[in-house]
Amino acid sequence: MKRKSYIVSIIFILCIGLILMGCPKKTVVKDEPSAKEAARIEAERKAKEEKEARRIAEEKAKEEAKLKEEAAKRELERSLQAKQTPGIEGVVYESSLLKPIRFDFDKYDIRPSDAEILKANAAVLKKYPGLKIQIEGHCDERGTNEYNLALGERRASSTKKYLNSLGIGTDRISTISYGEEKPLDPAHNEDAWAKNRRANFLITAK
Amino acid sequence: MIKYFIYILILSFVSIHSVEARVYLDITDPTFVQIPIVLPKWKSVEKTPPALTAKAYEVLANDLTLSGFFRVIDHSALPVYLKEKEGIPNILSIQEWASSGGEILLAGEATLEGNGLNLRLKFHLIDLVEQKHLAGNQYDGMLQNLRNMVHRIADETVLHLTGEKGVHSSKMAYVVRQGESREIFIADFDGANMRPITQNQSINISPAWTPDGKKIAFTSYLKRNPDLYLIDLEGKNLQRFSSHPGLNASPSWSPDGKQITLMIGKDGKSDIFLIDAKGENPRRLTSGHGNESTPRWSPDGKQIVFSSDRSGSPQIYIMSSDGSNVRRLTYEGNYNTSPSWSPKGDRIAFCGRAGGQFHIFTIGPDGSGLKKLTPNGSSNESPCWSPDGRYIAFSSTRTGGSRIYIMNANGFNQRLLTTSKGGESSPAWSKRFE
Repeated sequence: MKRKSYIVSIIFILCIGLILMGCPKKTVVKDEPSAKEAARIEAERKAKEEKEARRIAEEKAKEEAKLKEEAAKRELERSLQAKQTPGIEGVVYESSLLKPIRFDFDKYDIRPSDAEILKANAAVLKKYPGLKIQIEGHCDERGTNEYNLALGERRASSTKKYLNSLGIGTDRISTISYGEEKPLDPAHNEDAWAKNRRANFLITAK
Repeated sequence: MIKYFIYILILSFVSIHSVEARVYLDITDPTFVQIPIVLPKWKSVEKTPPALTAKAYEVLANDLTLSGFFRVIDHSALPVYLKEKEGIPNILSIQEWASSGGEILLAGEATLEGNGLNLRLKFHLIDLVEQKHLAGNQYDGMLQNLRNMVHRIADETVLHLTGEKGVHSSKMAYVVRQGESREIFIADFDGANMRPITQNQSINISPAWTPDGKKIAFTSYLKRNPDLYLIDLEGKNLQRFSSHPGLNASPSWSPDGKQITLMIGKDGKSDIFLIDAKGENPRRLTSGHGNESTPRWSPDGKQIVFSSDRSGSPQIYIMSSDGSNVRRLTYEGNYNTSPSWSPKGDRIAFCGRAGGQFHIFTIGPDGSGLKKLTPNGSSNESPCWSPDGRYIAFSSTRTGGSRIYIMNANGFNQRLLTTSKGGESSPAWSKRFE
């Protein structure tokens, strides 16, 4: 009996041993989970790479945007000409990006060809949201000076209204009428008069 | 001296009597003909330099010509035996002037007194047709006031022959173009003593006199906005008077001096406002969609005439001084601006477009009797009245650049007043400076 139980013990131990020895075998079986791990690592690496690439791309884009912005800024700066008029307070800027418009005699409505110019001007103002402008209304020398002061006021304000209808905030636009007192061309003929009936744009803040 | 006063009294009596007896001249009468007035050579009393006497004579001859009432026959144009006669002729010897071609004789003499700084000018006015003495007077003053003393003689001559004093002692303010800038200048009625009262290189425009004649109001862009300023005649004490963002321009003082009507820019257009004498308490007189300009008081202070484009083209309108009872005055043409009410109240002058050019017109306050005063082939703007209502000053480009002209209120006798290098515009006529 004692011997029998000894054998049973042996077997039991062997079994335990077998069980225990089966573990390494089991590890071999568990080769699959290890591949997964590798894939995970791989994915992680890939993600990291992608993230890095994105970061680089973003940074590049940022850099490009910055360069573009700087270029635009340079373009704006290049377009600017500081203007200081004797006897008139303050420094303002003229920009070749903002084109003047013209008017018919004794009229203040925006002509169709000038509407295109105003659209282009509005695009510039959208591109540079920091810009504030003053619209100057001008008249030719014909007609009385005081009536022309009133007419210049209308020309500046109809131009302002048009820009506002294109989405430019009125807080960015001031107006001033010079009547017939600041002609572009001082000659006394139709050509000069046509040039002088105008609204032009000055930059008051960059 | 007493003898002299008695003499003056007698002359005054004679002159009043003669004004009653004969209305010599009314320049607004369409049948008006200039009266030929003969000016013998003036006498230089004692050691008075002949050049000084000649100067007084020359200023007087020019004044009388400018007045539009007279055709001046000066001594150089007289028959040989009268040419060299000088001084005031004896009343008994006026017959020898019969061949002068004049109806009135104005004779005078100049005396330099004291230390050579004081001047005495004496004149006498004689009716050669009726053969009688009309008036005489003498003026004493500082030598430097020679022109003003002569202007008084001219004013008095006009008084005795028309029943109302002349305007030779008034002044004119106007804008002078100097390159890119516009400066305000003033000058005597005859264009002499022209001097700047602004010299700030800015754009200074649209001058107007305060009723006391001590200051000029004008619009300037000094602060990059057309603000209204006041300045004295020496160009000092500049004062910003009305500075709403936008237009502040074209002021006109009420006859009592308590209110000012002007153009103020609001909501992208120009409206007519009232402000008080301090430039405060703005009150809006016009509203609606019209663009309004150049408000001017009627001489009785009850109405304001102005220009408005409310009908689609600029026309002249009249309203009560509280902004009510607006009525349209002009219907001819499609460009009528810059009205100005005569000090006598009977006519309104304005600038109208006709035949592609700008002309000065007058019209009655009831819309009757429209008259074009300036000749075809010229462009004319900015009419304003003399303080007696007998003349209109305006600007014209008839000889090229813009110049100031004056004419009789009926358009006769248009004559050039100013000639600066840059050109002049926007005349404003002062009261008489006594």
